[in-house]
Amino acid sequence: MLSIISLEGYTISASDSANSFDFDPAAFVEEKVAEIRSVVRRDRVAIATSGGVDSTACAALAHRALGKGLVCFFMDTGFMREGEVEEVRDLLSSLGLPLKILPAKDRFMKALEGRTDAESKRLVFRETFYTVLGEAARKEGCDVLLQGTIAPDWIESSGGIKTQHNVLEQLGVDTVERFGFRLLEPLLDLYKDQVRALARYLGARVDASERQPFPGPGLLVRCIGPVSEEKVEVLRKATKAVEKHLGALRPAPKQYLAAVIEDERSPSRGGVEVAASRMLLGARVEYLRWLATGVKGDNRAYGKIAIVTGRETEPVDLFGLPERVVHQDGEVVRVVYRISGGNGSKKGKYIVIVRAVETRDFMTAKPSAIPLRVLKRMADRVMEDDRVSVVCYDLTSKPPATVEFE
Amino acid sequence: MYIPVVFMGGQYNHLIVRALKELGVSSRLVMPNTTLETLKGVDGLVMGGGPHSVYDGMDKFGCVPEIIKKAGFPVLGICLSHQLIGKILGGEVVKGRNPEYGKTTVEVIEPDDILQGVGREFVAWASHNDEVRKDGGRFVVLARSEYCEVEALKDERRSVYGVQFHVEVADTPKGMIILRNFIGVCKRG
Repeated sequence: MLSIISLEGYTISASDSANSFDFDPAAFVEEKVAEIRSVVRRDRVAIATSGGVDSTACAALAHRALGKGLVCFFMDTGFMREGEVEEVRDLLSSLGLPLKILPAKDRFMKALEGRTDAESKRLVFRETFYTVLGEAARKEGCDVLLQGTIAPDWIESSGGIKTQHNVLEQLGVDTVERFGFRLLEPLLDLYKDQVRALARYLGARVDASERQPFPGPGLLVRCIGPVSEEKVEVLRKATKAVEKHLGALRPAPKQYLAAVIEDERSPSRGGVEVAASRMLLGARVEYLRWLATGVKGDNRAYGKIAIVTGRETEPVDLFGLPERVVHQDGEVVRVVYRISGGNGSKKGKYIVIVRAVETRDFMTAKPSAIPLRVLKRMADRVMEDDRVSVVCYDLTSKPPATVEFE
Repeated sequence: MYIPVVFMGGQYNHLIVRALKELGVSSRLVMPNTTLETLKGVDGLVMGGGPHSVYDGMDKFGCVPEIIKKAGFPVLGICLSHQLIGKILGGEVVKGRNPEYGKTTVEVIEPDDILQGVGREFVAWASHNDEVRKDGGRFVVLARSEYCEVEALKDERRSVYGVQFHVEVADTPKGMIILRNFIGVCKRG
């Protein structure tokens, strides 16, 4: 049973079978299948799947409860990785779930072009996403939407750290009035490791159950600052190289990704360089033009990205650097270390930032100790794109940075 | 054994419940307006972190100040709640000159209490702008770090504890030992 308590407009629920040490997928499935059947009265229910483990597990769970009454949508937002649409189609069909693709690339780009602020981009994305989904769901005769929202999604949104594209009701959005459907979120109490256990139990292939988290807004939240088709294209290529190189490591980092930002730098201030130099002799520290999301003391921090240039050093030896920089300038939320480029040798418009972290539950995280030679080899590949001038590695833990960039 | 967790609005509060359950204790989130009367019969209480600041005014924290003053059961306050305990026990809470975000190294001063078994130094994850200063407060300082002079404290008279860092996150590897020690305190009553 769900026990629900309300606080300042949002809801906290705690399910008895979730969050226990020995999470029991069988008991969870039994409880939730009954719950879904009791709540859903009409025959047809929609779910938006991304191919991520949360929505895949949710779809498989709902399929048990509703059978053919479940309609699986996949939104092509234009912020997907190369080959992602085909991959997701294949992944879901292995679970017996046919996919309806919603092409909406132009609508998203039109709504987002020219916007630079991370929160405003997330809000516009969410609005467009649910508007398109609402239209499609109504056409299919569905008035209930299932979502694979999990615990960290609403915990972060409740604290105002970032707008999750899939958190609505917890923030008091009336989905019936606004988008024309009711929401059902059976995974609200689960953490990532428990969702993976659930997906495995429901028969998902290993590439589905162990799939890396990929945010709902996709590459959009890794496109720091303004969005353009070109910028997304650069990021898509860089992402492919980064996933190939870091994914081949054994063990692979828990999460690895690329982000893109304009190569526009300004000097750091005060004692930042002096403090950084204590760890990296002759370090040069500059600030990038656009801000990134962080989290400091349970509050959202939207702050500066510092780029550190210095002699070749193993990244693991520089993991203490962000602390020094942040102590000198409290507006910094992220410190990245230059791996390749930036010495005037190559003219390009964009900096690619590589991030890899180790984490249990994504509530906290630390940077992965990737060897410099691996990063350099990967950077060479990324630099083959003429539009990229510099490749950096992110040295920041969570907190003060978040895992994603916006 | 039942040890509820007061939800103070922080991102990790839910993880405290999860950690307590992993240690075999029954737990759930309760709201800050939960009264001492309602908490009758609990074996102990943990209070989480949150986005507010102690010097925003005590009215933001519901019954929590009252609970800290009068609880007859063991209490563990984390982050913001640690600061509330420090303040109520007569210490000072100030904006930290060097706030800690992420990894910090905690140095143990009193090794025989809830920090038993964690070594002389241990790695912890913290995320705070404010910090507690002793300033004549009626508590014992159990641990400190390079940037924060009160990382852990205990009421001079009762089993009321505070920790500035987050015992409940996976990146504080010794956090579960500290929680287990606190559960031990609750068992002894």
